[in-house]
Amino acid sequence: MHEASIALSVLEIAVDNCRKAGYNRIESIRLKIGRASGIMPDALLFAFNAVKADTIAEGASVTIDEIPVSGLCGSCGKEFVTEEKYVLCCPECSSASFNIKTGRELEIIDMEVF
Amino acid sequence: MKVKVVTRILEANDRIAAENRRLFDEAGVYVINLMSGPGAGKTSLLERTIKELSGKIKTAVIEGDIAGAADAERIGSLGVPVIQINTGGACHLDANMINEVLESLPLKETDLLFVENVGNLVCPAEFNIGEDMKAMILSITEGDDKPLKYPLMFQESSALLLNKIDLLPYTNVSVKKIRKDAMSLNPALRIFEVSCKTGKGIAEWADWLTKKVKS
Repeated sequence: MHEASIALSVLEIAVDNCRKAGYNRIESIRLKIGRASGIMPDALLFAFNAVKADTIAEGASVTIDEIPVSGLCGSCGKEFVTEEKYVLCCPECSSASFNIKTGRELEIIDMEVF
Repeated sequence: MKVKVVTRILEANDRIAAENRRLFDEAGVYVINLMSGPGAGKTSLLERTIKELSGKIKTAVIEGDIAGAADAERIGSLGVPVIQINTGGACHLDANMINEVLESLPLKETDLLFVENVGNLVCPAEFNIGEDMKAMILSITEGDDKPLKYPLMFQESSALLLNKIDLLPYTNVSVKKIRKDAMSLNPALRIFEVSCKTGKGIAEWADWLTKKVKS
């Protein structure tokens, strides 16, 4: 729902890092987005294309690595990876005592600049 | 050339949230981020709670709304410090919006600061503002399917207030289902059944809050 403000943060961090590295154009940006992060990749890409106009990222493409939700069950001790966005109980033993390991990521991994 | 970035996209927000946290700790203020969908009763709960705590705990309020100052006027009439933030369209409060108004609040003379977030069951749960605790309201008229439809807020909150409980006889809502689903999402969740209209359950919630603030 707030993909536009996330897109602005991505732009700000990318421009900042590009300048710091001594370059003036961003060609591509790679993001890591967890499936349970609440961010829809398509909406984020749409928003990014809108905010990048007239910046050093105006020619930049964005690729998104989607990270599935995974966790470790405190009852049966098994690690699990699921296609679901939200986990209500351990898929192995149905216990509710588990810790989520991945799926909430919202990160910039790297980018190509020139 | 490839540049490694490896930065959390919300890093700027987290940094400002940590700064807010420091200011709150310095002033000895306990901060609650109060969230719910629109119309669940956030302002009504604050009115009831502030009256209940009056004379025991010094409260202040930050009101977040997309537009208007109606909520701040309601709270202001109780005689507690209140600041209205208009997000101008944004669906949530973030750490920076809070940071900008902190100097207008008498933090040192405040024990408990309520931040009433924008009415929205989704986005506010994503942004830390430097609070001690997130609390949420679900009014029972919203339906008993909400925990499983909007899980993040239920997972992030320490307390869930089931408001408008006086209307239960007129609905087909199952409080048992809400409790079961919410607890499966967040086994540590503390649930209060309240009615801001009749005052039911408010004293119990206020007692629990008082213990949190004084501990």
